Amino acid sequence: MTSSLAGRVAIITGAGSGMGRAHAVKLASLGARVVVQDIDKDGAAETVRRITEDGGQALAVVSDIADCATHAPMAASAASAFGRIDILVNNAGIGLDRPLEAIDEAALDRMLGVHVKGTFFATQAVLPYLKRVGAGRIVNVSSRWAMAGHHLASDYIAAKGAILGLTKAWAKELAPHAITVNALAPGGVWSAMVLQTIGEAGVREEASQVPLQRWAQPEELAETVAFLVSDEASFITGQVIAPNGGKTVVGF
Amino acid sequence: MQDFAGRVAAITGAGAGMGRAHALLLAERGAAIVVQDIVADAAQATAEQVRAAGGTAHVAVCDVADRAAIMHALQAAERALGSIDVLVNNAGIGGEPTLEETTEADFDRTFAVHVKGSFFATQAVVPGMKQRRRGKIVNISSIWGMVGHHYASPYCGAKAALLGLTKAWARELAPWNIHVNAVAPGGVLTEMVLGQPDIEKRMAGKVARVPLGRYAESREISYAVAFLASSAADFITGQVLSPNGGEVIVGI
Repeated sequence: MTSSLAGRVAIITGAGSGMGRAHAVKLASLGARVVVQDIDKDGAAETVRRITEDGGQALAVVSDIADCATHAPMAASAASAFGRIDILVNNAGIGLDRPLEAIDEAALDRMLGVHVKGTFFATQAVLPYLKRVGAGRIVNVSSRWAMAGHHLASDYIAAKGAILGLTKAWAKELAPHAITVNALAPGGVWSAMVLQTIGEAGVREEASQVPLQRWAQPEELAETVAFLVSDEASFITGQVIAPNGGKTVVGF
Repeated sequence: MQDFAGRVAAITGAGAGMGRAHALLLAERGAAIVVQDIVADAAQATAEQVRAAGGTAHVAVCDVADRAAIMHALQAAERALGSIDVLVNNAGIGGEPTLEETTEADFDRTFAVHVKGSFFATQAVVPGMKQRRRGKIVNISSIWGMVGHHYASPYCGAKAALLGLTKAWARELAPWNIHVNAVAPGGVLTEMVLGQPDIEKRMAGKVARVPLGRYAESREISYAVAFLASSAADFITGQVLSPNGGEVIVGI
């Protein structure tokens, strides 16, 4: 659907499974060379295997995205392997449906560390490269819950909300460099993370509340990421795209 | 990129500017095009461009604000080309009166073209979409419908009404797998814009306000329309996509 990403280099964080893997595979299928970051070594290796099997080029970087000491080496590995960085998809995340009382300080720090600090400092490390290419692309993965809330997981929702704030600020701060910054705020998506939390029956029940009466597959979300990082989205910045089946319709 | 092979797309106001750009892009991607416009020569010219590029076009000349005429024209188009799979409610008129200057006739005309036109064009195509259990409706709003402006309140009101229709229809039509979204462009270089008085001064002011520091070409807005109308956006409904160079960042 979107134009080719031939010659582009993309870093996708948390690309060892689920949506992150789908984004990596999709961008690779459009010609991008992809850096697959994940904390899970085997997951990252599997994503790289799938890409190379289809004739693409990918490199695994195994690191904890919340560890700020890892971001500069990640960017340096990408640049030394592929010569440039055009696209950063800040996707790495963790999800746990906890009530307020069950979230201790360490849990909150970890949630904010992965989503917010991880996104912030990964972007800071990649930024010099994005400025150099002149038409860089940043896609931050937020969540429908950051728009609409939920009766659990307030730590997760705060982190995903902060990602919307970063998106809007960076859109303005980085526009002079023709870098666009947008957020993807998915609704219900089938993933191992969700199946562990609420199970298949839980997903079916949730899906019945969605106007389109279904959840998405990770590959559908990758289509939106592919659009936002393409040349066709050059005038789109600071926006939130929410593939959610009509479950949440807000704003404006 | 033949996302729309075998599909029929109707674009209202397709005789010029953005509407023509939408028609040409969807045709390039395989759709047969219903070119609706009030100006016969303009509609013909768009149809000729579609055909010259190897596409199929049907011309529907009528006033989109005339309920009987637009419904009849779209039904005739369906008899000629087959059922309409994609409807882009694009027809619009400018005019920038202050509140005091706005006559009842100005007001009625603005709402008739944008709101009634979109409403009854959609009413004409929905029965077929429901029958096939699929359809894509893209309503063209404006950043002025999101954040207002210091004049042109009838236009702002009408464009905001289109956002209301978008959100309502997304929910009402979801059970039939019909997806309804809005595109809310920022500054776009069209004949309508270039024809304004003091255009050079206005353009300089606008460019200074837009983080990306430029206007969009019509075709850049068409990319957003084509994305929403494609199967890549099958989980996106009730949303507003605003290619505006970062000028307007609102809501969540």
